[in-house]
Amino acid sequence: MSEVLGDFIRALRAADVRVSTSESIDAGNVIDLVGFDDRATLKDALSQVLAKSEDEKQAFADAFDSFFAFEQFKERPAAANENDERDSQQREQDGGEGEGGDPSQSGSASSPGGGGMGGERQGEPSSGMNLAELLERGDQAELQMALAEGARQAQLNRIRLFTQRGMFTRRIMEIMGLDGLNEEIERRERTKDGKGAERLAGLREGLREQVRDYVEKQLEIFTANSGRQLREEVLSQMRLSNVDRSDMRIMRELVRKMAKKLIALHSRRKKITRRGVLDVRRTIRANIEYDGLLFHTIWKKTKVDRPKVMAICDVSGSVAQVSRFLLMFLYSLQEVLPNVRSFAFSGELGETTELFKREKIEKALTDVLRDFGGGSTDYGRAFENFEALALDDVDHRTTVLILGDARSNYGDPRSDILKLVHARARRVVWLNPEPRSMWNSGDSEMRRLAPYCDKAITCASLKDLERVVSDLLRSAV
Amino acid sequence: MKLTDKQDATGDIDAIRKGFETRGYICNAHIATSIFLAEKLQKPLLVEGPPGVGKTELAKATAEMVGKPLIRLQCYEGLDEAKALYEWKYGKQLLYTQVLKEKLGDLMTGAQGLKESMARLHDFDDTFFSEEFLEPRPLLKALWQPGGAVLLIDEIDKSDDEFEAFLLELLSDYQISVPELGTIKARTTPIVFLTSNNTREIGDALKRRCLHLYIPFPDTDLEQRIIAARVPEMEARLRTQLVAFVQGLRQLDLKKLPAVSETIDWARTLVLLHARELDADLVRNTLNVLLKFQDDIDNVDGEVNALVSKAVQAG
Repeated sequence: MSEVLGDFIRALRAADVRVSTSESIDAGNVIDLVGFDDRATLKDALSQVLAKSEDEKQAFADAFDSFFAFEQFKERPAAANENDERDSQQREQDGGEGEGGDPSQSGSASSPGGGGMGGERQGEPSSGMNLAELLERGDQAELQMALAEGARQAQLNRIRLFTQRGMFTRRIMEIMGLDGLNEEIERRERTKDGKGAERLAGLREGLREQVRDYVEKQLEIFTANSGRQLREEVLSQMRLSNVDRSDMRIMRELVRKMAKKLIALHSRRKKITRRGVLDVRRTIRANIEYDGLLFHTIWKKTKVDRPKVMAICDVSGSVAQVSRFLLMFLYSLQEVLPNVRSFAFSGELGETTELFKREKIEKALTDVLRDFGGGSTDYGRAFENFEALALDDVDHRTTVLILGDARSNYGDPRSDILKLVHARARRVVWLNPEPRSMWNSGDSEMRRLAPYCDKAITCASLKDLERVVSDLLRSAV
Repeated sequence: MKLTDKQDATGDIDAIRKGFETRGYICNAHIATSIFLAEKLQKPLLVEGPPGVGKTELAKATAEMVGKPLIRLQCYEGLDEAKALYEWKYGKQLLYTQVLKEKLGDLMTGAQGLKESMARLHDFDDTFFSEEFLEPRPLLKALWQPGGAVLLIDEIDKSDDEFEAFLLELLSDYQISVPELGTIKARTTPIVFLTSNNTREIGDALKRRCLHLYIPFPDTDLEQRIIAARVPEMEARLRTQLVAFVQGLRQLDLKKLPAVSETIDWARTLVLLHARELDADLVRNTLNVLLKFQDDIDNVDGEVNALVSKAVQAG
């Protein structure tokens, strides 16, 4: 039974719900507490232990529904109530297994389950009889358990390819006691119980279908998400310029995730208050009640300044492929940090802060690309515009972030303005989508601009971006 | 490890739900399940949800139901352990040292040399840092409460990260460490609620130690029952219309959606005005009870007619 839970937790993890070992143990306790009988209660209860945010609750609900999708066992009137004794025996057996499996085991993601198999196999011959009985009794819960147990022994959680479906279906049927069932049908035919045999054969076919459905469901659960995870992983390391348009959606999701992570990290940092010097006046006031003895000392606290960021983004033709992502990133950055001013340029430079605040991301990006994009790059002009627009606001707390390839079409890049900016700003960081070996080739002006940057780095993939920003936030405090 | 008979679980949960109902707190099975689990697993319950859906109310109702005192700690930025956990009674400590000084003479009479004096001083009870001089704050009170208590740590998201980290020991082991005294364990394990409006992400470490309950806005049926329980003097027809209207309002894109508490306020307002049926004018005049931003009120203004006619049909 804990194997079922283990599989479920694995499916949850595949669905992006973080489950820790201690939470798996809690889940085991919860199941002991509420049992498997009442599905709604089980779902409620497990969701409170395993899913701990609104997003996760949603993912949990989906995963639960598809994982415990057992409705395929049609409710049918109990055929016979004989053999209560055996029934209880069976139940005990199941209960025993549930307890034998230490809840903590369920936490380990890939318990191979090989160890238990030898022992389980011994009980097999008798389970054949049980299967026929189970089917006739139509006990849903027991069937579910038998099926799940069969799936466990067949190691269904290892299914990876759709071509394996047939094989797994057969194997599970065998483990559930197909042979015994067939014998029972034959026996009935021999004893002229044609009707009983027919009914049982029908049930067998029904079961076969259910098992196949179940296998397919599991295939979906265990593979669908891993495919997406793989894609995300690959995407985050792919060069921004190579990302396919069809992957844009996933990419945006990734940028958003990254931004969110940064918010969580950053909101921590900005609240740090430093302990400063003793505030003598307030300390004396506070200690009057202690006879003037300085018991309760009060320290001057300094709130750490929030960093100011000015980001300048090149959206010209030479960086057209990456500029979308750079802008997307800029947009997210503005959501994360409180004081961000953003600028975009190819020839003329303009401020986009208001636009980003006002519009949704899709519209904002299109507007920026329409208004500023596509022209031929002129860093000189852009820096002149920046000087006029914002240089006065650059102060010792400002970080200036420049995203671009520094290809200025052989025009003067006006490094003197950048020098001015560098002198006033706390930091100037240049993120260049080109690899370092390409810098200074052709019309690239990195050689002349880089001296006025505190940092000039290649930033071509999301991973790079994330590293740079995290670095930025850490030292911004 | 069986904590209780499985068969009882559903029954227990239902009993909890009914218990709440008799105390005027209407909830669904989901919420009742969480209370059941919190009690059985002895784990703190982190309640999240939009403002005004009854997170704090849940703790109050639970305290009333289990018949234990509710100890409440309101979190805010800058809350520290001196206000949340304990404080030394400095004044008393000062007095104590003065008394000690006076008694010192008697104590030391006949003592030969420094060594013996020190030995006598050591024999003397060191009560300067002892429980008598400890001023318990909410958290410590909850641990000391004989017979247990319901501890409500309200709006944990408003507190600082340091405070959150400081809570971890309390939440996982129901004990706290006072450097001068050692660890203080709970006499009876309290039932702990934490509420959060999600103004910031709660740390994983804290979440891991808690059960997590998300209370969304109630559905039509549940909200009707809540209004019926809280504003019993309202007629059924008007109640249906009112709930339908509020539910419709929640579909709109608003700065702050009206929560249950606002629905209750509005219901009371309408009862005071002796309204028998919703109409557009009445709604316009009282909309400020329901919506708290002028922008929202202006935005909704155009939709009022449509929403009201829909709501009246539902009644």
